[in-house]
Amino acid sequence: MIDLDDAAERDAAAGEYVLGTLDADDRLTFEQALKADTDLQARVYAWQDQLLGLSALAPPAPTTAGLWRRIQASVAALPPAAAAATASASAPAMPQARPRVPAQPAREAAPPWWQRLGLWQGLSGLAVAASLALSVLLVQRLQAPAPAGERYLAVLQSPDQQKTGWVVEIEAGRQVRLVPVSEMAAVAEDRSLQFWTKPQGAAGPTSLGLVRAGQTVVLPVSALPGVGAQQLFEITLEPREGSPIGKPTGPILFVGRTVRL
Amino acid sequence: MQTLTSDFDYEAALAACARGEHFALRMLYEREGRWLLGVAKRIVRDHELAQDVLHDAFLQVWKHATTFQPSLGSARGWIYTIVRHQALSVLRKSGREERVDSEELTTLSDRLQATENRDDDRGLDTQALERCLGRLEASRRACVVHAFVDGLTHEQIAEQLETPLGTVKSWIKRSLTSLKECMA
Repeated sequence: MIDLDDAAERDAAAGEYVLGTLDADDRLTFEQALKADTDLQARVYAWQDQLLGLSALAPPAPTTAGLWRRIQASVAALPPAAAAATASASAPAMPQARPRVPAQPAREAAPPWWQRLGLWQGLSGLAVAASLALSVLLVQRLQAPAPAGERYLAVLQSPDQQKTGWVVEIEAGRQVRLVPVSEMAAVAEDRSLQFWTKPQGAAGPTSLGLVRAGQTVVLPVSALPGVGAQQLFEITLEPREGSPIGKPTGPILFVGRTVRL
Repeated sequence: MQTLTSDFDYEAALAACARGEHFALRMLYEREGRWLLGVAKRIVRDHELAQDVLHDAFLQVWKHATTFQPSLGSARGWIYTIVRHQALSVLRKSGREERVDSEELTTLSDRLQATENRDDDRGLDTQALERCLGRLEASRRACVVHAFVDGLTHEQIAEQLETPLGTVKSWIKRSLTSLKECMA
């Protein structure tokens, strides 16, 4: 049995707890103590970081698209809890209170106003003679009264402007939506679509993560380096795990700049 | 070369998870998923089972993100511990504690150097740990490595190393103490 009153043994126990070699009884004793013992918590965090390098010994294993979908579905199925406020300082254990979760997949939320209009589908069906400016003008005219906060729209087109693939809609201070507006050929198994943005004047693009063809992505505005007019958004074709260098390496598939609505 | 991965702000991502921002969890998955799956697979020794481990671990990360204490240590260390402990829990419950063959045992612990020198972009600093592990006597080093990487129990390590259980226990304890002193 471990003696957590003994200083040396406390630290050894914290190390073995992280390592995973405490036997079942000791582990239970330790976990019980850990909930309220801040010194023990600090020791556990220290050991976590000290031993972290050992994880480099395990070779990576390829994840499948299905795994993320499972995680996403399970997270979405969790009951949204009330207020976050009382996050306890103790180790993981208690039921979590959490803030309102932002609307995740757009299909669960009401479709954005411009999508309801079916406008973009119609547009891309046409010969896309409509310029970006004209499109936006149309949208503005049909738009419901704008809620508070600045709104921006970017229409992402293929570089030859023959095809409109996605629309980016930003509500300042709230969220960014990337919404597919046309059918897109599937990407090869070993490739991914990566979503980027570069505010006017920024030194380089910032990755907003990998996206899938036909998938709506909703991000908090805080994920962006900035929000403004003439902000560049683009989708590039990258290796499966995304660009290894933090900036686009593959061809631009769709690109556009924001206009303020 | 500075890379996106090493620049990735794990603490910010975890804080965003705590605020309920799904995107942050996805970013963590994209950054670390295959490495974490590798860690889990190494322990449970089954790809399917490892995916279950990662699924459950990511749910825990999401649920418990509010309890993460950035003042005490790194978000990455916290996440890896959740994944490893989930893998260990599955392993111990399932009773699938297959033997690591002895040849593997003797050579494995010497591989950290090779792994570390591999040109990967994870920004995982293994230098101090490697140096300090190198100071341990080989069989003691093997104890720590196999407990961490393969999830072996004291008993299994004792059996594999053909060393009395009590000796293995004290080796691990003392090895951890030496590692800590060395890395301080």
